[in-house]
Amino acid sequence: MRVRPFTSRGYLVSLLVGLGAWGVVAAVAVGIGGRLWAWESAAQMRDALNLRLEAVLTASVVGAALALAGLAFQALLRNPLAEPYILGVSGGAGLGFILSYLFLSIFWAPLLGFAGALATVAIVYTVAQRRGRIEPYTLLLSGVILNAFYGAAIMLLTALVSPAKRGDIAVWMMGNIGAFGPQWELVGVVGAMAVGAAALFAVLAKGFNLVAVGEDAAGAMGVNVGRLRIVTFAAASLVTGASVTLAGPIGFVGLICPHLLRMVLGPDHRRLVPAALFFGAAFLVLADLAACLWEGAGNRALPVGVLTAMCGGPFFIYLLRTRWRRTAEIQ
Amino acid sequence: MRVSVFHLVLLAGLAAIGATGCTDAAPSATPGAEGKPLRILSLTPNVTEILFAMGLGDRVVGRSNYCTYPPEAASVPAVGDTLQLNLQEVIRLQPTIAFLITRRTEVPRRLEGLGVRTVPLESDRMDQMLQAIRTIGLETGRADAAQALLARLRADLEAVRGRVAGLPRAKVLFAFPMTVGSARIMVAGRGTFVDDLLGVAGAENAYPEAADWPSIGPQQVVALAPQVVIINATGEDAPPDRAEAIRRAWDSLPSVPAVAAGRVHVLTEAYLTIPGPRIGQAARLLAETIHPDVKGSGALRLKAPDPLAAPQERKP
Repeated sequence: MRVRPFTSRGYLVSLLVGLGAWGVVAAVAVGIGGRLWAWESAAQMRDALNLRLEAVLTASVVGAALALAGLAFQALLRNPLAEPYILGVSGGAGLGFILSYLFLSIFWAPLLGFAGALATVAIVYTVAQRRGRIEPYTLLLSGVILNAFYGAAIMLLTALVSPAKRGDIAVWMMGNIGAFGPQWELVGVVGAMAVGAAALFAVLAKGFNLVAVGEDAAGAMGVNVGRLRIVTFAAASLVTGASVTLAGPIGFVGLICPHLLRMVLGPDHRRLVPAALFFGAAFLVLADLAACLWEGAGNRALPVGVLTAMCGGPFFIYLLRTRWRRTAEIQ
Repeated sequence: MRVSVFHLVLLAGLAAIGATGCTDAAPSATPGAEGKPLRILSLTPNVTEILFAMGLGDRVVGRSNYCTYPPEAASVPAVGDTLQLNLQEVIRLQPTIAFLITRRTEVPRRLEGLGVRTVPLESDRMDQMLQAIRTIGLETGRADAAQALLARLRADLEAVRGRVAGLPRAKVLFAFPMTVGSARIMVAGRGTFVDDLLGVAGAENAYPEAADWPSIGPQQVVALAPQVVIINATGEDAPPDRAEAIRRAWDSLPSVPAVAAGRVHVLTEAYLTIPGPRIGQAARLLAETIHPDVKGSGALRLKAPDPLAAPQERKP
């Protein structure tokens, strides 16, 4: 591990650098995605600016939430393949959201989404736990199986509802940024939750580092591993559920972002947590920009969730062949 | 895109293109005329509506799940839809003839395999729909009823056309409500039945391209700059609070002329997109919405000669 002095001034500077980098990416995405130079009137330009601002902020808060949740899951489960989407957390949130949308009201959807996410983590965790330890294979497999179960449940629902709603659900399941009509309040709430989770994880970062070495060692160093787990899982599920409410299940952002950051910054979670906040945000903004440019070039619109999943699949295989092996060998 | 297919199946088979193109061929057998019992299976809502309008409602023995208009149709046994057809139920109902609008060629094949004469129809465009009525008349031995219905529909359309003649043709965007979690709305492209209706109602479709039912985002709406927006909110979207929410979502696009002028209209009538016997009503409602001064000036029910006869024969 590289040893670098960890000062509060250095921390602040790196926060500002991250914020600045995200700001640049966001500004570029607003300008290019909105083709702000090409409009005939100032009024049209203002509308396009508004639309792009909202889309970029939506992508930012969703990307940040998912990257943070992925980082936290990987840290606490000590598994490089853990991720909200793969663990079924997104699927659980999705099922809760769709149930609420179909049978209750859209008003309760965020709450049920969160409940679905939390229930999933609880199930996966309980199934994978044996004598106080987590079995990595069981953990991943139970997540995959739960995901398949949720997929089947959602398909069952789609088969039973009217074709119009069937279409809605199909589109929603692809993972989309933005809505027709403003939803600034929801973006604000999810954004606040993502920043809150980042702050919480920043406080817990030292605990993450110790757990990564070993749960017994962490316990010996005075970390209350049980409480750390519960707080982290609850927070990660909450932000995952919130992001699913806002954009549908967007996969693999929580896998790709933390790993890319670890390759560059090393394993120290005190660095990784703030980095995940800004990098996750910028990552999904770029993915959304790609989808936006693709559509701007006269093609059919591309759901951003499909795009990230297409990138994430190969990345998962790559991790499976490299990092997973190494960790498995260590154990 | 999948969503459009789903929507269009519901909305009366707008998306359908008859697979075999045999609608123009003269029918070899007319079961109704031969004295054989006429037992009709209708697998598309607008066809069911046409059959009832032609007085053949009592001959319809089976229908699709979505054929719920006129209300009497709901009491006819349902056999699923063209995606999921309950063949056992079809066998039980013993239809002699089936009408349907679908892209799926295996559905007519299965039905023919059961010995049911199967007639695929088209109703993507206005003239195709009128041709479908004529085909149904020939196939059921009710050519006179078909002619009467056609004459009535043409008179209705012509009355609307006459009323809006000479009025400025506004740029109108016809859309379905936004769906949950998607930034896109489905709009009527050139080459749809609704596009034809807009023409009758004295409007120009704001969506300029020949497309079925494209999904567009708000940014594209800004670029299209429609003068009038008509949103067809049906079913679950029809209640007043929901319709109002749908309309309000447009307020965030003040540069759109329709928004600036308060001309975003939410219409809850489902028949606006159903190519069937209610096209006259649909055209009139559109005309009154697009040209507010037409409304109240009365007398949209002129009887006119047969102006669509010529264009209808032009089919390739």
